Amino acid sequence: MGKLVKILGPGCANCRKLEAVAREAAAGAGVDAEFVKVTDMQAIMDHGVMATPGLVVGDRLVCSGRIPTQAEIRQWLAAA
Amino acid sequence: MDALLFSLRGGAGNLAAYLAAHVLLCLIPAFFIAGAMTALIPKAAITRWLGRGTRWRVSYPAAAAAGSLLAVCSCTIVPLFAGIYRKGAGLGPAITFLFFAPAGNVLALAYTGSILGAEFAFARIALCLAFGIGIGLAMALLFWRDDAARDARTDELFAGAARIGGAALGVLASLVAVLVAGTLKVAPLDATLAALELPLGWAGNWQATLTDWVPFDAARGEEGVSVQGSLLIAMLVAIGIASWRGLENIVEGANRWTFAALALAAATLVVAALRLAPIAGGLQVALTGRAVAVAAALAAVLHFARRLDAGERQAWLWESWRFVKQIFVLLVAGVFVVGALRQWIAPEWIRAVAGRNDITANAAAVVFGVFMYFPTLVEVPVARMFLDLGMHRGPLLAFLMADPELSLQSMLMVAAVMGRPKTAAYVGLVAVFSVAAGLTYGAWVDGVPPAWIALGLIGVAALLAGALAWLRARAATSIPQGAL
Repeated sequence: MGKLVKILGPGCANCRKLEAVAREAAAGAGVDAEFVKVTDMQAIMDHGVMATPGLVVGDRLVCSGRIPTQAEIRQWLAAA
Repeated sequence: MDALLFSLRGGAGNLAAYLAAHVLLCLIPAFFIAGAMTALIPKAAITRWLGRGTRWRVSYPAAAAAGSLLAVCSCTIVPLFAGIYRKGAGLGPAITFLFFAPAGNVLALAYTGSILGAEFAFARIALCLAFGIGIGLAMALLFWRDDAARDARTDELFAGAARIGGAALGVLASLVAVLVAGTLKVAPLDATLAALELPLGWAGNWQATLTDWVPFDAARGEEGVSVQGSLLIAMLVAIGIASWRGLENIVEGANRWTFAALALAAATLVVAALRLAPIAGGLQVALTGRAVAVAAALAAVLHFARRLDAGERQAWLWESWRFVKQIFVLLVAGVFVVGALRQWIAPEWIRAVAGRNDITANAAAVVFGVFMYFPTLVEVPVARMFLDLGMHRGPLLAFLMADPELSLQSMLMVAAVMGRPKTAAYVGLVAVFSVAAGLTYGAWVDGVPPAWIALGLIGVAALLAGALAWLRARAATSIPQGAL
């Protein structure tokens, strides 16, 4: 069972970019991660996000409203 | 076959004319401004005025400000709309935000100004602001029971306070200066400071070839392609290629292509501000006040951009590039299609339906706007086509208000967040208010005394405000512990 990574966003360009960056980061770090896309607005709001894309690693919201770098995502994956 | 060729030529001509000179001076800075707003203005700087406890006098203008400063695409609009509605200031401000965003953002404003004229852009933003607040208030009136009973959780989402940094402010201000210097039509900017004649004998022939490729009829409002225009189109293609290599992965850091793309973009803006004209045996290059002003403003952008930290700079460039990818491609396709279709629409039809400023004409424009779906910003070249074909400016504004607000996409989104009855009410209100806005602006264009128009608008606003105050008072007595 890999680490749970959630991508929050209605499916716009930024959310797709974030997913690509996060997948690359996980693959690059050799982390076994399970990716889930959350597109339902109500579910996104429940994470307390006001600006998409949002990234949840484990059960913690680590970033919202911007696209983080691969290095940042690797750190979050390591900490989770 | 001839007919097809005729259409294609119309499309190509329209596209080439749009890509040349004046449109670039507006669109390139506008994309960078939109990116800077998204990346550099902390959302909390505005959303803290949108919490549940905020008085309506503050929350409605704040919602409009959020619409114009924070929201350029649906990625930002959807979560903010849902957030303001469910956890923040409520239905009214959420609707104001939703209504104002498509018309009040910098891309729409700059593009409308460049294609339809500054006066029209001003009318669009002023009326959208006034009526956006009006529609928000009207929705709050209609559904006040719902609003009182909505999600009562705390609004910590809106609690954060943040300030926009000095360097970010400098970048934004100098980008706006580039936009203004590039598009404002005043004498010092249009003046020729110096002229240089380059011995390029082929310039005259090239112009003749271009006119042959893209024939145009000035009487129909068509523009051809100049030598300068062809140079700009070539530079634009080069920017596109360099950006693809340099900005697609900007999040991970800049590379050589990034600098090439930015340098090319800056050079394109300066070239667009020069005046190039073929003369006998050569090409005359005129240094205009505009070129000097644009270059100075670009230098200021560079100065402030260096002070941003690397993360901010990368986020800014990424957002700008994302807007270009998302909007520019569809805009190019849209402009082409508009140019091709235009060859088949007789001006008499448009004049018969919407040549005057009356209720029928405005209603027809709104119905057309509701049933036609144009991608972001494509409504503007469509409006230009109608204007050239003889549509009155009043109905034209009604169309421009109804089209982006009531697109299929926005209606589905509104329905998903707040349900069908509210969506139906919203659509109805937007239709009515759009007709009213068209009539208002049309009356202004036709020379009705401004005092009368202002009186009418103030009357409507007062009626709404009075009704709202009365309802708030009634709600406060009927729901003692209510969230109002």
